[in-house]
Amino acid sequence: MHEATTLRTLSDPGRAGPASRLSRLAPVHWLALAFLAVALGFAAVAWATGNGFYLRLATEALIFAGLAMSVDLLLGYTGLLSLGQALYFGLGAYVSALVLRDVSPSFWLAMGAALLSGVLAGLIGGVIANRVKGVYFALITFGLAQVAAKSVYNTHALGASDGLIGIPQIQVGFGPFSLDTADPLSFFLLVLALTVAAYAGLAYLMDAPFGRTLAAIRANERRVPFLGFNAWRYKLAVYVLAACVAALAGALYPMLRGFVSPELMFFETSGNAVITVIVGGVGTLVGPVVGSLLLTALRSVVGSWTEHHLIVVGVIFMLSVIFLRKGLVGALLARLSRRNGQGRSTP
Amino acid sequence: MAELIDYLQFVLAPQALNGLSLGVAVVLMALGLTIIFGLLDVINMAHGEFYAMGAFLALTLAGLGVGFWALLVLVPLLMLPIGWLAERWLIERVFHSRDRHILTLLLTFGLGMILEDVLKLVYGPNTLRPDNPIEGGTEILGMFLPNYRLFLIGFGLALIAVVWLVVFRTGLGAMVRAAAFDKDMASSLGVPVRRVYAGTFAFGVALAALSGVLLAPIYSVFPTMGRDFILMAFTVVIVGGMGSIQGAVIAGLLLTQVQALSSLYISPVWSDPLVFGIMVLVLMVRPQGLFGRLGHA
Repeated sequence: MHEATTLRTLSDPGRAGPASRLSRLAPVHWLALAFLAVALGFAAVAWATGNGFYLRLATEALIFAGLAMSVDLLLGYTGLLSLGQALYFGLGAYVSALVLRDVSPSFWLAMGAALLSGVLAGLIGGVIANRVKGVYFALITFGLAQVAAKSVYNTHALGASDGLIGIPQIQVGFGPFSLDTADPLSFFLLVLALTVAAYAGLAYLMDAPFGRTLAAIRANERRVPFLGFNAWRYKLAVYVLAACVAALAGALYPMLRGFVSPELMFFETSGNAVITVIVGGVGTLVGPVVGSLLLTALRSVVGSWTEHHLIVVGVIFMLSVIFLRKGLVGALLARLSRRNGQGRSTP
Repeated sequence: MAELIDYLQFVLAPQALNGLSLGVAVVLMALGLTIIFGLLDVINMAHGEFYAMGAFLALTLAGLGVGFWALLVLVPLLMLPIGWLAERWLIERVFHSRDRHILTLLLTFGLGMILEDVLKLVYGPNTLRPDNPIEGGTEILGMFLPNYRLFLIGFGLALIAVVWLVVFRTGLGAMVRAAAFDKDMASSLGVPVRRVYAGTFAFGVALAALSGVLLAPIYSVFPTMGRDFILMAFTVVIVGGMGSIQGAVIAGLLLTQVQALSSLYISPVWSDPLVFGIMVLVLMVRPQGLFGRLGHA
């Protein structure tokens, strides 16, 4: 995916020209801001019309966008296709559910525990998965997730096939303020804020030397050691990072829905995350968020008149793979940069 | 001693034979997967759906009055053009891209998703049960075995032998192996590489469909029937070595025995994690699998 490098050169703040700080913001970040504005507008409309259902649906889309972002970190920036990212998403969800139900209904404790579990499981999974490359990486992540999902599915202490139900709704405290996860609008805004924070943090990290090294690994892994970097360590680091992002996103799920089920870990969840990233835009981080919201909207629209939405999603997905290698966001960015008169430069 | 013999005869042996009948079907699936990977480097995620298509096609044709023996020939023949077109229209589009491993995997994944939903659309989500084409059973060494399973074992083993003969003992097979080893060299020696690619993909698809026909009378027919089965086939291909024919045969027979016999000692629900655990272990320790790939052996 060599266009990715082109795009990233185009979005390099150093090249974007004139002085004012705002105009130096890369186009992809403008897109993110525009998206944020749309999301806030949506929240205002949904709140004004008292529509809790669509707010909850949008919240779920944002949560799955977190999972998709973690896939994008691996696929878009490092060139590693993970077919088992749902493992960490489900792990975060189960840990959060157990903490909230059995330990203490504390948002921060649940998120902290999910993060810790993400680090630990990510380290183990990363050491195992990074023994191999390319298509074998995809298969080993797939196998790991299958082992974990089937084990959870068979464990009665974790509710087996039923999952865990009765996760309490909680108050999220920020110093003197607090908000209620039972209120669709406040929880949507909380998840939106977390998504924006995750996007900003990850986008910064991917522009920092860490992200540049990952891009180098994707471009040509064999040359990386000659530049004095240990590719394996970077791959492990990004794997753990992706696991944490997925686990944190998963931790929000039981707060929204009040239950967790083994389906969260199944291949369908991992596969959907990959579809989201490809349709939205690989290697953009906004793409997964846009993709997740669009696909959720599409499923709910198509789902209202037929249950066969997989055909529609599948066709869109395949068309994206063949014609839009950078997804919707990538196509949009390419169009924007062409209009700005910037030629395509090769790095 | 008598107890031990009883145990072997009435507990282990039937289970092993059941495992064997499943094993030959898994091997047929895995052969298609492994040949496609060995030649085209494509992980065919839609293989399970082609298997399901075979079973449904058999069901439809049987409803039109086509006999079981004709189905064994007709269904694979009907699936050949579908496989050919899938390769020509989809795989070939991304084949020369740098990320073709990932792109072809994604494409076939999307294709599988669509095919599964199309099957649901056409046949409904319910489970269908075709008639058993070979009724009755035979008593061997005091064990009662359904005739159909015996037929499945015999037919499957014969088919595996035919595939082996075609790949290793015919001019066509030599072309496939040459293209797998070095496609540019094969092409300059006059091998029509593009047609060999499409033909091989179609052949793998036809094999998957044939296993669908064969297994339909044992397991029932439903749109998602390919899912669990394909996981087993993938594991077999990985353990045996992706792209290796003898690897797929040996690993297929071995792993189905592990699954069948382990279910005597541990709850059968744990046999899936066990098999996938083996897959992960093999990928960690010996990612190239037990045997070398097609054209390189």
